[in-house]
Amino acid sequence: MNRVSGALDRLGRAVLENVEEMGKILLLFISVLAWMFRPPLKLRNIFKQMEFVGVKSIFVVVLTGTFTGMVMALQGYHGFRMFSAESLVGGTVALGMTRELGPVLTSLMVTARAGSAMAAELGTMRVTEQIDALYVMAANPVKHLIVPRVIAGVLMAPMLTVVSDFVGILGGYFVGVHILGINSGIFIKNITRLVELNDIYNGLVKAACFGLILSLIGCYKGFNTRGGAEGVGRATTEAVVLASITILISDYFLTAIMF
Amino acid sequence: MFSLSSEAKVGLFVLAGLIILGYMSFQVGKQTLGLKRGYTLDVVFENAAGLDKDASVQIAGVEVGRVESISLKEGKALVRLRITPGVKLEHDAIAAVKTHGILGEKYVELHPGTRGAAFLGPGEQISRTERQTDIDRMLNQLSLIAEDVRGVTSSLNRVLAGKDGEEAISSILTNTRDLTRNLNNVIVSNEAALRAALENTRELTGNLNRVVTQNDEKVGQVMDSLKAASSAMEKTFATLNEITGGVNRGEGTLGKLVKDSATADKLNKTLASLQEVTEKINEGRGSIGKLINDDETVRNLNEGLTGLNRYVNKAEQFRTFLSYRGEYLFDKSDAKSFLELRIQPKEDKFYILGVVSDPRGRWTTKDITTGGVTTRTEEWDRDGLLFNAQIAKRYRDVVLRGGLLESTGGVGVDYLALNDKLKLSFEAFGFGNDRRAHLKAGAEYQIFKHIYLSAGWDDFVSDQDNRSIYGGFSIRFEDDDLKYLLTTTPIPR
Amino acid sequence: MIKLIDLHKSFGKQKVLVGIDLQIEEAKTTVIIGRSGGGKSVLLKHIIGLLRPDRGQVLVDGTDIAKLGDRDLNEIRKKFGMLFQEAALFDSMTVGENVAFPLREHTRMKEKEIRETVADRLRSVGLTGVEEKMPSELSGGMRKRVGLARAIAMRPQIVLFDEPTTGLDPVMTEAINRLIIDTQKKFNFTCVVISHDIQSIFEIGDRIAMLYEGKIIEYGTPEELRASRNPVTVQFLSGSIDGPIRIM
Repeated sequence: MNRVSGALDRLGRAVLENVEEMGKILLLFISVLAWMFRPPLKLRNIFKQMEFVGVKSIFVVVLTGTFTGMVMALQGYHGFRMFSAESLVGGTVALGMTRELGPVLTSLMVTARAGSAMAAELGTMRVTEQIDALYVMAANPVKHLIVPRVIAGVLMAPMLTVVSDFVGILGGYFVGVHILGINSGIFIKNITRLVELNDIYNGLVKAACFGLILSLIGCYKGFNTRGGAEGVGRATTEAVVLASITILISDYFLTAIMF
Repeated sequence: MFSLSSEAKVGLFVLAGLIILGYMSFQVGKQTLGLKRGYTLDVVFENAAGLDKDASVQIAGVEVGRVESISLKEGKALVRLRITPGVKLEHDAIAAVKTHGILGEKYVELHPGTRGAAFLGPGEQISRTERQTDIDRMLNQLSLIAEDVRGVTSSLNRVLAGKDGEEAISSILTNTRDLTRNLNNVIVSNEAALRAALENTRELTGNLNRVVTQNDEKVGQVMDSLKAASSAMEKTFATLNEITGGVNRGEGTLGKLVKDSATADKLNKTLASLQEVTEKINEGRGSIGKLINDDETVRNLNEGLTGLNRYVNKAEQFRTFLSYRGEYLFDKSDAKSFLELRIQPKEDKFYILGVVSDPRGRWTTKDITTGGVTTRTEEWDRDGLLFNAQIAKRYRDVVLRGGLLESTGGVGVDYLALNDKLKLSFEAFGFGNDRRAHLKAGAEYQIFKHIYLSAGWDDFVSDQDNRSIYGGFSIRFEDDDLKYLLTTTPIPR
Repeated sequence: MIKLIDLHKSFGKQKVLVGIDLQIEEAKTTVIIGRSGGGKSVLLKHIIGLLRPDRGQVLVDGTDIAKLGDRDLNEIRKKFGMLFQEAALFDSMTVGENVAFPLREHTRMKEKEIRETVADRLRSVGLTGVEEKMPSELSGGMRKRVGLARAIAMRPQIVLFDEPTTGLDPVMTEAINRLIIDTQKKFNFTCVVISHDIQSIFEIGDRIAMLYEGKIIEYGTPEELRASRNPVTVQFLSGSIDGPIRIM
């Protein structure tokens, strides 16, 4: 009896903690929004974060994008060949990249690269009292630390997604046309036939949402770090896991709303 | 080290991203953007099953718009089309829902209507639609047809299944078979005679022609009377028709004819006597029979036929090409022209016959005897044309040539590359006694179907200061008329 | 000018502060001593509003900062400077940017003035030409100096020191103590120091408060403290293991 109630207790506690955490993240989001529109904005900080989140993620995003496109082309080819519809590979790769894989994979890569770094950085600042120092100097940490990161995340994730979409299609084109021998004209024709402007734009809107999610969660976890170096490590891991899960779940809902 | 500030890096990245985005949007949105400004037309279809929003609207397979919306109107499908600006449709345009292939997607096909009619304005309705031939309807039609076919076959079955019918038909068939076999024999053995007849006819028509041209007026009269005769014939035929029609009506259907054993008997008898006649012919009885059964005739005929066969085949294989080639010799500031005929009896073998006009003429040696004194002069003969006559054989990409090159003995090698578009050639000829051979190396490239560009180095080991870089072009085409001319002209063996 | 009245604070079930009453005198150096983990830092964080008390008042110039909103609290905070235990310099900024941070944040000084002020404050803590260095390139002592320079950048009325000499060698400890005394004299600010380094306490302290089990049990001049009969104080100052202070 005791064991049962203990298990229930733990379960309830976990649920409550998660709900509480979601609430806190939402509150953080609101205060980010509030501070975002309160001048002066430190452009230099924003650019620095944009460089970190965006420019420095290009390589990994290009890498994942290209190979994803290539793999999609390869797999799609074998599937479509059963219906003699190999030429649809182009459209499928393009549609898959722009709608789903571009935004999701890019965001996951950025989460792994930049979201984790945000958590680690803010976590370190927390445990070395740098965040307290900001408070003491009457400077709001949300404004100084979190707003630039969130802005960078929201702006850079779509940009990286554009790159990812493009190189993904390019990779698919390379495999489809040069390795599998699909006619290049038909390949491209099918891309333009199947893909609509809205597919690209909705993909970018998604990416912006994911950018918000990953930067917000990374900052939240880092900002609320407790317990020294170990705490920083824990915060980093939790940030990546939580952000990844949230991105994947919200992807479903965003897709359901948009398409 | 050149380094960028983070602002510059971000700026660069954003710029690149926006360019890529713009490019992709442009590629994808090309049609859609144009369409935004287009106008709408309504069509009411009986059934728009499978048609989706944004489905293609096409005229003659060219996309001219998209389906904007599909809604229900009085139990029918109201489809609104958005048409690209600049595409005009006449009032009597026809719309139809069609399918790409069997499993393909549905699209709206438009026929623009008669030219010159008033155009449909924005928001108007295309009133004429074509019923779609969907698979259900097609299957329905097919089953109706099948029903009919079954009716026919079953009635035939009823007619033929009876014992009488069966016997009658089988005897008809046997007789017919014998008849046709004999007829065949007759025709085959008669071929020579037929040929002679044809010959005569030709002669006759030739004579007739002569007669006709000589007696134009009379012919006119003859024609008139012929016309009268033919109209009379027409009448005759008409009556004949009536008669046969009556017969038809009287006798009724084929079934009755077959069942009527008297008729069948008659037919049988007729066929039997026909058979008798042909058998007689076959056995060599009678004059026709003798003629036909003469072995010699047959042999002659056979030879004639095989000859003809070979002849026809040869004409098919034979290819002839005519070409003109002009080469401008830069160091001489003068041009050299080649006119060549290439006869290609087989794919890998050909002959080249041609004339060359060389501004330098030909290096000639003349012995002139005047008053018992013989003087030898050597000079360039500027007037003389030079001749090419070569035999060439092709091995894969290499062509070996030999024979007369510019009126002297010589050889040449060609190497063909890029699907025969590029030809590298080397020629050596004029192995004269007292001067170095004439060597020529060059390349020729096909730029259009019949046009080639060429360049090279002519006579590049000349010891008479004759070497020159050249550049030029040539025109080459295949000539079918020439081919038949050649094959019908007897060539001495 | 700073007055703590009946301050209570607990984290979960652990009661850290149970009724603190303390008045900190203006332009003097008050040292708060006590056991490690005994709530000294918590007390300090209450003074500057980083933590809010469960009960009681924190009066700064007569204003109870425990009840202020963020905006008003920030106004109060501009009167303060604070040197953190590990200096808490911003890793991502150079030394110069660190010191200039409060100036850029709260004043409309021109870039040139800022540069001059930064150089002046750094000179006050005995550093020159380190503006372009990153905090990670500095030794612990130097980081503390830079931290102090940043704390006094705005010429605050009150400067808080969180264990300024912890983790330093004796020479550096002495140097930092000197620095605290000198800058205090130079800028004439109210100084609150947390420490458990006995030698330093008597060197820099004008007033000393002894925090034990969530309460101030002794308050007075160094001389008064040395003459104290309170067994806890006696044991703490002598560093003996025999006495009422319980060792885990």
